[in-house]
Amino acid sequence: MSFKADSKVLIQGIAETLGSTHAALMKTYGTNVVAGVSAGKGGQTLHDIPVFDMVDQALPAVGPVDITAIFTPAYLVLDAALEAIAAGIRQIIIITEGVPPLDMVRLAAKAEATDTLVIGPSCPGVIVPGKVLLGTHPSEFYIPGPVGLISRSGTLTYEIARELTRSGLGQSTCVGIGGDAIVGSSFQQWLQILEEDDATEVIVLVGEIGGASEEAAARYIDEAIDKPVIAYIAGHHAPKGRRLGHAGAIITAGLADLGADVGTAESKMAAFKQAKVPVAERPSQIPELVKKVLKKSGHKKK
Amino acid sequence: MDLLEYQAKELFREMGIPVLPSQRIDHPSDLKGLRIPYPIALKSQVRVGGRGKAGGVKFVENTIDAVAAAQAIFHLPIMGEYPQVVLAESKYDADQEFYLAVILDRATRRPVLLGSIKGGIDAEATLEYIQLVVVDEEFSPFYARRLALKMGLKGELIESVSGIVQKMYQLFVQKDLDLVEINPLGISATGQVMALDGKVTANDEALGRHPELATLASKMSKRAKDEEIPPALANQNFVQLDGNIAIICNGAGLTMATLDLVCFTGGQPANFLNISPLSNEAGWRMASYDSIPGNPLPKEVDSWSEYLEQALELATQNKNVKVVLVNILGSVTLCEETAAAIETYLKRRESSSRTRSGLHVIVRLVGGNLSVAKERLSAIKVPLIEDLEEAVAKAVDKAKAVVGY
Repeated sequence: MSFKADSKVLIQGIAETLGSTHAALMKTYGTNVVAGVSAGKGGQTLHDIPVFDMVDQALPAVGPVDITAIFTPAYLVLDAALEAIAAGIRQIIIITEGVPPLDMVRLAAKAEATDTLVIGPSCPGVIVPGKVLLGTHPSEFYIPGPVGLISRSGTLTYEIARELTRSGLGQSTCVGIGGDAIVGSSFQQWLQILEEDDATEVIVLVGEIGGASEEAAARYIDEAIDKPVIAYIAGHHAPKGRRLGHAGAIITAGLADLGADVGTAESKMAAFKQAKVPVAERPSQIPELVKKVLKKSGHKKK
Repeated sequence: MDLLEYQAKELFREMGIPVLPSQRIDHPSDLKGLRIPYPIALKSQVRVGGRGKAGGVKFVENTIDAVAAAQAIFHLPIMGEYPQVVLAESKYDADQEFYLAVILDRATRRPVLLGSIKGGIDAEATLEYIQLVVVDEEFSPFYARRLALKMGLKGELIESVSGIVQKMYQLFVQKDLDLVEINPLGISATGQVMALDGKVTANDEALGRHPELATLASKMSKRAKDEEIPPALANQNFVQLDGNIAIICNGAGLTMATLDLVCFTGGQPANFLNISPLSNEAGWRMASYDSIPGNPLPKEVDSWSEYLEQALELATQNKNVKVVLVNILGSVTLCEETAAAIETYLKRRESSSRTRSGLHVIVRLVGGNLSVAKERLSAIKVPLIEDLEEAVAKAVDKAKAVVGY
């Protein structure tokens, strides 16, 4: 992973409303947005960012790009991502919601074959507070510091970052991996990224009911992560069997999940308990738990 | 979106998966013009499971019995759902019943083929015998044969069953489905295969590129009249519970976290509603090709305020609702518009025949333009609280004071 202040960033779908809004916000934050792509809008300039019709035309003009953020309509996301991979871009953030899962299956296979990191879809992207904003995180909720934050949600991520910030706990890197059933990068991948990141001293993992990704993350923490991890699970009181916006948040005890109890808040809590990961009951407890482990690991406040 | 059995079978027929001769019955009198020979099975067309056990399937030998059975089925709710249609289908003598399915596995991010030689209505028995093949590269028929062998099939059944699996896979990919299931797949004494029941779940997010499936979805939505939900909010993010606190948030994760907090604080939620405009737009209302991120609001509303007003109306329809907790967070959402919506909603409520008494609105807002929103809300005596837990505590207190517990 290289999400640095000087990373060169491309915005695909820059002429879309969301793309244009967030391109401007990212640039204001200091992100090095070098070009935008929107077919048919080539030759224009948006927020002082040059716009090209295709990725292929942008790269010769601005040089190699490290990261692309995709805001194109849902059915054009797969094509946009394949276009970026073909042009040699190896870090892709998909902000768009509603990408059909089978498109993500194709993209995930391509990403594995080309060693590309795909974040999202339906995600707020990545923020390295004080350095770089890649996505839709409201930057006023974040300050630099030692906490790495990984989450499946959008606004809940903002909520927890805000709680940390209000308690004086800054963040190293915050990522929303996306709430869909099929997303590009997993909790495990991000745990590994933050484990290797020097700026991160403690990791907060924000999960929710549905799917089995928290259970898998708990096992991975037990086996491979040395840094302290704090978890939080949303959805204890959500009724079973109802869909709650995120495609991942469906509890089905049927055949599709091939395991009767996986996906409930209880099974996720149990998995974290087994991995000796403290679980916060409410967002406001997270800062307390983080402070406790930081104290234990001898973190000195500068 | 779950299709009804007769709709799933229509797709099977197009794909060349064998299904029995059948006829759609909209009214018991339609049976007088039945074009398939007796004996027949009459099957309730509901989207919920457990139909057979609930008495939603009846076998009949003649018109008189058929009309009586159809009348009974039309009046039999299954898990609260009445059928709008009954399917009349030829009877089939199966020697064996198998289970087959194609699904997407979230963890491996690959399609998975499932099969069991113990199909039928006893799903738990099926689960125990189920075999699984992950399609980890481009599909080729050998994956289907691999499943047939794992199921323990021999001889001609290998080809006939894997042939069905192959067609199910094609359907799965062509129509962007979440699930294709045949349960049971009937096997006759002579080894013929027949899809006796089928389940197809279309992917909501891909409906925009499958107009034929989206049309089915819009027809089905008109029929679900148990809750009067405005079109902009007609998704699956509104959940009714038994308490007295309505919860409206933007974002699924935040909604669940807020719901948890209300419960942990001793409150009783009446319902919860996620009005994240983006996830809403991905809902199964004909998401049009070019409108998804360009206009993050559902196309039925022009502004965030209008959207929130509709949400407030929906969340307070139930007379048990004493408190509404609105929790809106984020930079895109305009605080000012949120305040305006609450003001309009409360004014309308006051001037309508319903009285405002007994309803408290608690607003938790964080974002840009907060001071304007604060001023506007304080003018109508609605508290704006920036801290989530404080807002939750206030909502729970108010609810307790109203009901006096």
